[in-house]
Amino acid sequence: MARIIGGIGTSHVPTIGVAYDKGRQEDPVWAPLFEGYKPVAKWLAEKQPDVLLFFYNDHATTLFFDLYPTFALGVGERFPIADEGAGLRGLPDIRGDVDFQAHIGEALVNEEFDLAFFQNKPIDHGIASPLPLLWPHEPDWPGTVVPIAINVLQYPLPTARRCYRLGQAVRRAVESYPEDLKVVVVGTGGLSHQIHGERTGFNNTEWDLDFLETLRDDPERLTQLTHADYVRLGGAESVEQIMWLAMRGALGASLEEMHRNYYLMTTTAMTVVTYEERENAAVGSQREREVA
Amino acid sequence: MFTQNPQTLGMPEGTYVFDLRTCNRRLAFNRFFWNMIRPEARQAFWDDEEAAMRAAGLDDEEMALVRARDWLGIVQAGVNFFVLEKWARVVRKTNLEVYAIMRGESFEEFMQTRAVPHAR
Repeated sequence: MARIIGGIGTSHVPTIGVAYDKGRQEDPVWAPLFEGYKPVAKWLAEKQPDVLLFFYNDHATTLFFDLYPTFALGVGERFPIADEGAGLRGLPDIRGDVDFQAHIGEALVNEEFDLAFFQNKPIDHGIASPLPLLWPHEPDWPGTVVPIAINVLQYPLPTARRCYRLGQAVRRAVESYPEDLKVVVVGTGGLSHQIHGERTGFNNTEWDLDFLETLRDDPERLTQLTHADYVRLGGAESVEQIMWLAMRGALGASLEEMHRNYYLMTTTAMTVVTYEERENAAVGSQREREVA
Repeated sequence: MFTQNPQTLGMPEGTYVFDLRTCNRRLAFNRFFWNMIRPEARQAFWDDEEAAMRAAGLDDEEMALVRARDWLGIVQAGVNFFVLEKWARVVRKTNLEVYAIMRGESFEEFMQTRAVPHAR
């Protein structure tokens, strides 16, 4: 049986990718960011997951607004990393496991999450910004990716609660796959930032830290917020944090936060957090009650 | 008849909701910027900006905004920032430079408001 062995929340700021490609890992300005990912990369190297299942958003790259799905799952053995206006990055194509992706898609639709599906499309910084900080890529990535894109660009957006429930359904989908795959769920985006309009540059560290505590210990509370609440508290583009709720929904009730790094350098509170489930009977029974 | 999406009720000032109505009104303008993910569209823009805008079907107001490099005006007109940033690469502006412009500040002024002012 496939199982989820942990979760990661991570920002997906595109300039992380630029700094990575330019080799600025030791640059004093960027080091607090890159150093903060090392324990995560080490954790992944030790746990050796077969799959990273991403809840992320496309930034109108793979998909355009003439047909913009609320939820879309990518199917394919390879996904090129997208040209977003500045050319290609020189990273290997992201790998996929078609049988596992198809199973997740089928299981979700059969649970009434009517996803769209994309094939043979490039994937943008929603995954590609943090991926090389999580996994090595020479000569190739060590595992496969399940990309689940969530619309956080064009209102109406899926609600926070819907994203949380999507995560819960993904857990059941993973656990109904017969092969012994180890899966880490990843939610990308955030934390506080606004990058359009006169309110550009808005941040709220107090809210960011409150969000992280609540996400770990009482995520249901975060499902009650409206999108305007997220925008008011964390800036317009921080509404991406509903994708962290999808990741959280796929994890058990009681979590251990293994690692956290928070670095607000210019406009985005760049954050990475790693979670493992506390393994005790009470957690299991609570999870079963939620599922029921 | 306009109906209010409860999701966007109470949005703060200086924030522009990109929704179905905005998209419907400005699809061609958004597509013009989205196309910049393709090298041939970037080359066409560098070769002849006016011809590229005409081919994309922009209206007079949209063309004026592009000519003026009016970043805030383009957002206010109904362009999603995530297609706009693709064009920023084409006209060699960093996102930080665009942010400063949208706030009505010089780049140096803007960076002084940041936690790490010398970051690039």
